[in-house]
Amino acid sequence: MMTDAAVIMPKRSVKFDGIRAYARLSILITLLIITLILGTLIIQSGPAIFAASESLFTTNWKPSEGVYGIVPMVFGSLFVMLLAMAIALPIGGFAALAISRIKSLRAKRAWRSALEILAGIPSIVYGLIGVAYVSLWVAGAFDLQSGRIILSAGLILSVMILPTFLSLSEDAISTVPAAFRENAQALGLHDYEVELNVILPAAAPAIASAALLSLGRALGETMAVMLVIGSLDRLPSPLFNPLSSGQTITSKLGREVGESAFGSTHFSVLVLMSLILVALTIGLTILSQRLFKQGASR
Amino acid sequence: MSRSVKNHIFSAVTKLALCLCAAVLGFLLLSIMWQGGRAISLDFILSPARDFGTSGGIVFQILGSLLLVVTAALIVLPIAVGTAIYRECYMQLAQNKARLDTVLYALNAIPSISYGIFGLIFFVNILGTGLSWFVGSLILAMMMLPTLTLASHAAMQALPKSYRENAQALGLSQGEIIRHVILPQSSGGIVTGLMISLARAIGETAPIMFIATAFSGVSLPQSLLEPVASLPTHILALAQQSTDPQALQNAWGASLVLVSFVAAFSALAFYIRQKFSHLGQR
Repeated sequence: MMTDAAVIMPKRSVKFDGIRAYARLSILITLLIITLILGTLIIQSGPAIFAASESLFTTNWKPSEGVYGIVPMVFGSLFVMLLAMAIALPIGGFAALAISRIKSLRAKRAWRSALEILAGIPSIVYGLIGVAYVSLWVAGAFDLQSGRIILSAGLILSVMILPTFLSLSEDAISTVPAAFRENAQALGLHDYEVELNVILPAAAPAIASAALLSLGRALGETMAVMLVIGSLDRLPSPLFNPLSSGQTITSKLGREVGESAFGSTHFSVLVLMSLILVALTIGLTILSQRLFKQGASR
Repeated sequence: MSRSVKNHIFSAVTKLALCLCAAVLGFLLLSIMWQGGRAISLDFILSPARDFGTSGGIVFQILGSLLLVVTAALIVLPIAVGTAIYRECYMQLAQNKARLDTVLYALNAIPSISYGIFGLIFFVNILGTGLSWFVGSLILAMMMLPTLTLASHAAMQALPKSYRENAQALGLSQGEIIRHVILPQSSGGIVTGLMISLARAIGETAPIMFIATAFSGVSLPQSLLEPVASLPTHILALAQQSTDPQALQNAWGASLVLVSFVAAFSALAFYIRQKFSHLGQR
């Protein structure tokens, strides 16, 4: 591998290139980190598959009896994620259209900074707001004894993913060529027809990419969900009842990893759940990148 | 329904959605500032926690959080810059570049709690380090790595091609070009990326709660291998006793301080970006 500079001056390239060695070491460390993380999670979740294989895909979680069903947690994660997306996607989508229609550059910039502020609030602070406000409101609105339920977690989570989804969607809408809008307007279409039938379809791949990225964020979010979801290791009954307490993979991990003994089957099952989570979030993110590139190359 | 009626409905719905977002943002900021403002005082910031945080202040939590993220920044900076240099200057195949990008996106996608579990298994249990400040910083550094690498690389990529061509024409070697042209010219973008990743790292709870922090009774660590106190885990401990009004009030106070740190790092990032954004156009 000879660089351009090396071709011009072969003498210098013989000298030891310190920067090159340093850069190579850095990239090796980066690759080592991801290998270590994935390798550790895979190896440590192995025992769970052997020791708890019968109970793993059941709905019972009783570590004291050696029964480790992870279905309630997986279901809880998906349910909370879907709730959060059902709230955040329409609001975020329409708000993104509204921001892209703002004409004053200064107002637009102000909205973008506001979104950055919203995205910067740490998740533990969202958790505190959930505990101090949202769970109380929800309990009051539905006349429940405790507001620590799946709906509260979904509400908090929807607010947490809103800024990411909104700002990425707004970027997507803003990068649609102005000629699209101008042509549609010249054809005499009304604003809503321009936005919904011309702009949105053109921005659709990038918006879908934003949605997938937000999905990944929602799945991995721990602190806020853990504080408001109620931590009940059972499937809600009826199944899609958002007013019941629940458990997500992340809230389970947050509550129990510190308490279970390293090397036990209990610990190994928790690591397995973490591995499932990592596989889902990495998959969603890579899919999101693919979609984004597809949209950009069209 | 006529088209103009539909048009009005559409316009109303988009505005309503935007108002809703503004209301949420306003509510969040006001409640943090109002509730936090009631709890905060010079005494609260400067005195140590007592009675598991329900009384006293948060001075060691503040110092602990700063120690954690500053150490993490010192660890991650050389690795991220080196990786970015390799990607920009030494990688020839587009295929390899795409692979590296995928690795970075994957690192970015791993949930923070999984970083915590990895740290607990690998450092605390396999390497036997125990709960410590250094392990917490290592894990935070790993979390900061993708953001900082991507930001540093973006800064290098944004440099006009003529800079490098001129340097080559003057007879500089690749190493000299990196040291005297690419690194100095992209330093603004690198520091901006560092501030953004610091703002994110200081608010993280899940990665450090099993491996670096002790909930109370901790003062400053005497060595790298001792646990520290931190703001996010302190808020967590207090939020779990939310029926106690005093605990809740102190949690709000600690939250306001934490959000202020996030805001300060973000403002620094914004300032540096503004200051350096003119450089490339000279």
